[in-house]
Amino acid sequence: MPEYQIVVCGSVVPDPLQTLEPVAGPTGPALKNEMMLPAWLDPWAGHALYEAANLAAKNPGSKVWLVALGPKAKLQQSMMTLAQKVPFELIALDGSASGFTDAAETAAALAEAIQAIPGLDRSKLLVFGGWESASRGAGATMQIVGEILGITDQFQGVDGIEADGSLRILERIEGGRHQVSVCDAPPALLGWATGNLPEPRNNPQVGMANMRAIMPALQKAKPAKIGAEGVTFQSVSLPKQARDTKVVKDVPPDQIAAEIVDWITNK
Amino acid sequence: METILFLSPTESGSPLSKSALEALATTKQLADSLGTTFSVGLWGDAPKADDIASCGADKFYAVTGAEFSQPRYATDAAAAEALCRAAGATIVVGPSGSRWNRIQAGVAHRLGGRADSHVTGLSVSDGSPAIARWYYRQRMEGILTRAQRPWVLAVESGIAPAWQGAPGTAAVEAVACTPPAARSNVTGIEALTADQQTIRPDADLLFVTGAGWTKKQPDGQVKTEEAQKLILAFLGLSRASLGSTKSLVDLSGEGQATLTFLTHMNQVGQTGSTPRHAKGLSTCCHGEEPHTVGWRFIGERRAISLDANCGWARGKADVLYVADAFAVMEKVNDLLAKKAGG
Amino acid sequence: MDADIVCVGFGPASGGFLTTLSRAIINEDGSTAIESPSVPGLPLQVICYERSDDLGFGVSGVVTKARGLRESFPDLDSAEIPMATPVTDEKILYLLDPVGASRRPLLMRAADVAIRAAGGILGVKDDAMQLPWTPDFLNKHGGMILSMGQFSQWVGQQVMGSGAAQIWPGSPVGEAIVEDGGVAGVRLVDQGVTKDGKPSDGFMPGMEVRAALTVVADGPVGPIGQQLDKAFGIPDGHHTHDWALGMKFVVDLPESCELKPGTVLHTLGYPEPEIFGFFYVHPNRVASMGIFVPSWFDSPARTAYRYLQHWMQHPAIWRHIKGGRLRSWGAKTLQESGRRGEPRLAGKGYARIGEGSGSTNVLTNSGVDEAWTTGVMLAEGVLEILKNKQPFTADNLEAAYVNRRRKSWVEKEGRIAEHGRDGFQRGIIPGMIGMMVAGLTKGFVSMPGKPMPPHRRVPTLEEYYRGRISPEEIQAIRKESDSKGISANAALMERAGWPAIPFDGELLVSHQDALLIGGKVQAPAGYADHVEFLYPSDCESCGSKICIEMCSGQAIYPGENGRPAFDREKCVHCGACLWNCGKGNPKDSERGLIEFHAGAGGLHSAEN
Repeated sequence: MPEYQIVVCGSVVPDPLQTLEPVAGPTGPALKNEMMLPAWLDPWAGHALYEAANLAAKNPGSKVWLVALGPKAKLQQSMMTLAQKVPFELIALDGSASGFTDAAETAAALAEAIQAIPGLDRSKLLVFGGWESASRGAGATMQIVGEILGITDQFQGVDGIEADGSLRILERIEGGRHQVSVCDAPPALLGWATGNLPEPRNNPQVGMANMRAIMPALQKAKPAKIGAEGVTFQSVSLPKQARDTKVVKDVPPDQIAAEIVDWITNK
Repeated sequence: METILFLSPTESGSPLSKSALEALATTKQLADSLGTTFSVGLWGDAPKADDIASCGADKFYAVTGAEFSQPRYATDAAAAEALCRAAGATIVVGPSGSRWNRIQAGVAHRLGGRADSHVTGLSVSDGSPAIARWYYRQRMEGILTRAQRPWVLAVESGIAPAWQGAPGTAAVEAVACTPPAARSNVTGIEALTADQQTIRPDADLLFVTGAGWTKKQPDGQVKTEEAQKLILAFLGLSRASLGSTKSLVDLSGEGQATLTFLTHMNQVGQTGSTPRHAKGLSTCCHGEEPHTVGWRFIGERRAISLDANCGWARGKADVLYVADAFAVMEKVNDLLAKKAGG
Repeated sequence: MDADIVCVGFGPASGGFLTTLSRAIINEDGSTAIESPSVPGLPLQVICYERSDDLGFGVSGVVTKARGLRESFPDLDSAEIPMATPVTDEKILYLLDPVGASRRPLLMRAADVAIRAAGGILGVKDDAMQLPWTPDFLNKHGGMILSMGQFSQWVGQQVMGSGAAQIWPGSPVGEAIVEDGGVAGVRLVDQGVTKDGKPSDGFMPGMEVRAALTVVADGPVGPIGQQLDKAFGIPDGHHTHDWALGMKFVVDLPESCELKPGTVLHTLGYPEPEIFGFFYVHPNRVASMGIFVPSWFDSPARTAYRYLQHWMQHPAIWRHIKGGRLRSWGAKTLQESGRRGEPRLAGKGYARIGEGSGSTNVLTNSGVDEAWTTGVMLAEGVLEILKNKQPFTADNLEAAYVNRRRKSWVEKEGRIAEHGRDGFQRGIIPGMIGMMVAGLTKGFVSMPGKPMPPHRRVPTLEEYYRGRISPEEIQAIRKESDSKGISANAALMERAGWPAIPFDGELLVSHQDALLIGGKVQAPAGYADHVEFLYPSDCESCGSKICIEMCSGQAIYPGENGRPAFDREKCVHCGACLWNCGKGNPKDSERGLIEFHAGAGGLHSAEN
């Protein structure tokens, strides 16, 4: 049975359920009350992590690292929840995970951290991450990480992997379809969409096991200077959302239905 | 002076896609605004430039070879890199889509440049190009310029009408590219079966189901089966694209009594997709994302909800029908069936 | 699993406890100062379990004198903590009734007429009169306005940053392991179960964590505290009959608002005389504002959300917030019996701290500082016991912790406050007089009154609305709201003269919209319902259905045959259902028919 070394990259982002508003900060755009918003590992990176843990569990001898980028306080906050879900070894990078930073700078910091992992074996290496982030939503970071690491077997929008030495990978493409690829062997880089695994439950035992290594990793978090050199934001604004909503009340379903059918069939 | 390149993969035996023609039009507009010209780069097993010969490009480049027919990173990136270098491009514009988006940032890295994806607007201010794109899951729009070149862009569909023009004969300069040794191969496409419903970009209407369908209805009963029947019947009759809220998709993942045909592929907003459709009809979605984030690129929006004060439909939908979606959709299906029959 | 100390709940009390303890476990050079008896070779193993999805979710904005906090953090700079600021100005406003629907006693009506008549002299503005002075026992000068959510996160970061204690969010504790007349640790809740707790897909039984000391800090409605009260009883003469629900909005103030950060407004008189209001101005144009609805406000339709909307529209409040925007919302139960609600503070293997240990001062309306200080005192006691290599017996904890507490300012001031609110049992006016007298005489004199369990006070809707709405009409309203599956309070209040809410989508939003603002209410799957109706058939004959009317998130709604039903996805874990029951429990005269267990999820915001 093959053994894999799976390195998952992920940034910390504001909980997607929060109300977000841009403000002008000293170094460019930022989110209003950014440090007060609950933080969470980027949802797609989260899927990547769960898939990594699942793959590692199915292939004994495999190991999962999480290279997580975010301000230290926010990393700690999100790791306490995440650490209860799946086993991993944390490599923490203390730096901005703002959506307004440049993917290339984020990628450089992540790649450097991966290169510094002792004992990585390219013939076992799978680099996972989210295909996009919930902050920048560019789908660029993982590609660049792969380029820096010299991995040109890259897959984006991944929803499934079967691994038995070679890798059978499903990528999302247009029209709600999946493209099926077979990669002969690691190394490979996978940017995950949602996959198909449910979010693992909080398991205190997994948490306790992870914690022994996570606290020291957090304390050792390396500062990563990440910005958006060369980028000038002319503006960042909330869309003018308000539509003049016509509220139709106390109208029988027949009449509403007729109106809707008219509307949808009228091109 | 910028050197602008329109870049696109080609599919074996097919003309350029609509989104590629839209990106071509965007490229042309950009070149016009900057008072310069542009070139075209295509790759594939037999890229055909004749269809767009009259687009106004001053040069056509192509990387040709059977190895370049597969949508895979190693060969696509190598071809794109070679084309960019051949053209000496400072600005590269490609069409958003799985194939270009898979390699675009990697190519920029190889060229020592930078990439921006999901570009929803391209303008020129003070003689420099500026792009618009969205941040934080389509919640806020930024307009930015970049100092770095080459600047490699993936532009979204719908920002310019597709380029139209007479076919002709394009003088294509072949660009040499040694394909890298392929360790990966595309072996096929898995499509959903016909009765499975998903988000289909070609549909005019996006139908969004909210968690309300699986909740207790005003008569105190849960009517999941009825909901399922109504929704599937509607989709069959209307050929609408099916989107769902995150909570409803999550419920199905947890194995709860829910709409069995929903998967993560249906999810809109949050971690789901942000589909672009001319019309959107949201049902039983109180407080769910479709009213906010997932709806951003839907043209006309209507909602059916029992709550007249629903702050998440008000101001976001054009019309809010305060009614029971079960009752309304049943009638809608009747009417659509009659129309189809007649 | 074994640990040395396990702590239930993370709030101000456990914040004080863990802050003090963690500083003593590890030396400055990182070496171990106190070794773990359970895992030799490692530092003392301290684990805190918090039920909500993250630290500081679902707690509240407060004003505090911050005496205990400053003792723990002598160099505390409020600028370090988001939303914190020193108190700069404090006022009490008496609100007149601008809509004419408030149920004011005759004497109060007469006073209102007089106040309006002498408005010019008394400085009445916007239907409100500022009281000429704030009694000393109420003022918070020198204190701080805090967001408890942000403060909790800040404290959590300090504690975890030390590496000396672990705080696990999203981990509800199901029960204490009660053995041999003491507590031997805790068991977390089961996961992968159905709504009624039966194992289903991915069943994972709650893990047992055994510890020499269990610190119970799960607040006023915490299930572990309740379990211990049942297991070990509470001291003679003590009771927890008095409660209140605090509900508040966090609002982005408009540019036009002239209130400065640090401003504190207390209000009384409106929307009902029994309902008190608060308005705290944080930095950066943000305010926490809301009301307290007490258990002695004998209305079965005492819905806090609706009253909060009327309160904020009072001209004296509205003028500050008009043009602003709602940012988040939350609610929390407060234990209002104070020192008299004190349970057994310690026993073999356990100790209790914080609000659930009766530390709240009901006269000065202060709880955070007191809770924090009880945690600090326990930590000091625990360190003493550990230093002496003693076991955590009832006697040792009594000597090291309870004695400390008895000698503290928390105890001294708690005793002064003990009877301060008894007068409210007889009505708002005796209550106000009683509170003033108790406050000014330092507790020597108070207005007598006998607190009763809430279920014995709650009248039926027909009784409450006698003379205003006929029983037939009440039945018709009830029938209609039952058929829609919603509470009846909006219809009842409007029938009783309260104007409809002019929803504007900014400050005035529907109750359901509030659940979605500033971090939607969450209910992770795979957990059992934490609200349990013990004898549903008894609920059918309930004349008040107050559990439905009072539910902060409309999570309790009319189900089959008028029985209440529960929707976990709307629950904000305020705990109001625990004390808003119109029926007595046939097996326990002190309690109602609703059990409030430990549950995951709830509010998803730390801006509260």
